[in-house]
Amino acid sequence: MFERFTDRARAVVKGAVAESRTLRHDKVGTEHLLLAMLDEERESGGGIAGRVLRDAGVTAADIRARIESHVGQGPRSLGDADAEALRQIGIDLEAVRRKVEEAFGEGALSRPPARPHSRGLFGFRRRRYYAAGPFSPRAKKVLELSLREAIRLKHKHIGTEHVLLGLLREGEGLGVMVLAESGVEVDDLRRRVIEELRAAA
Amino acid sequence: MSQAVDLAAAASSTDPKVGLRAVLALRRLLESLETVQVDNARAQGWSWQDIAAALEVSRQAVHKKHAGRPVVRPSQEA
Repeated sequence: MFERFTDRARAVVKGAVAESRTLRHDKVGTEHLLLAMLDEERESGGGIAGRVLRDAGVTAADIRARIESHVGQGPRSLGDADAEALRQIGIDLEAVRRKVEEAFGEGALSRPPARPHSRGLFGFRRRRYYAAGPFSPRAKKVLELSLREAIRLKHKHIGTEHVLLGLLREGEGLGVMVLAESGVEVDDLRRRVIEELRAAA
Repeated sequence: MSQAVDLAAAASSTDPKVGLRAVLALRRLLESLETVQVDNARAQGWSWQDIAAALEVSRQAVHKKHAGRPVVRPSQEA
C-alpha cells in the first residue's frame, strides 16, 4: 500500500516521524501527521492537504501549541512533576540523573525511551524506515483509511489529501481534537478537500 | 517543621492521586534507566539472552522491547 503513496504523502509520513521526535514523543500519532501536512517548510506541507488546511485558517504554529498543551514535551520523559513525585517517596531525581550522566554522558537519561517492535503495516519496512518508529494504532488506522478514501474516490494514488480525509474519517485522534479546538468543522474540512479535488480534476 | 511533616505525610500518603503519581514517575525513571542500561549492555557486546537473564525476563520480552532501536554508535545511521 505504501508504494501507492505520492512523494508528498510519503513526506507526510516521514515528516510525522520527525515531528514526533522533535517533540520527544514516543509514538507517531494523528497529531504528528497533521503537523506534517501543515508544515510549509517541508515538502509534506506542500500538498493539497496543507493548502486546504491553511485555506480553512489552520496554522502549524497554532496546532503545535495546542498539541503541546495536551501532551507536553514527551509524555514519557521525566519532567518537574516527576521529580517532585519522586522526591515525595525519597528519590532525588537530580542525583540519579547526575550519576547516570557521569557514566553515560549528558542527556543519557533523556534519550528516547524503548520502542516496542512495530509489526504489520509498516513493520516490514522496519530497517529502511527505522525512523518510522512505532505509529500509534490511530495513526495506522488513518493511513489505512487514506487508502480506502483513495479507492472510494477512484484514485490510483494516495496523496496528502487522502491522508487528511483518512484523519478526518478516523475522527477520534488528537489530530482531529486539536483541529476542532481551533474552530474547524470536520465536515466542512472534508467538503473543502472534495471541492479542491473537483476543481483540480 | 511543618515542611518535614508535609513530606513525611506525602511519603506515606493515602491519597491515591499522590501515591499513583509517584508510581508513574518511578515507572518513567525505570524505563529511562532500562533504556540506558540495555543500550550499554548491547554496546558492550552482551547478547539478548545475557540481558534477559540479568533482568529476569524472557529473551523474547527484552528483544521485543529493545531491538530495533539504534545502538548509540557513531557509525549508525541516525
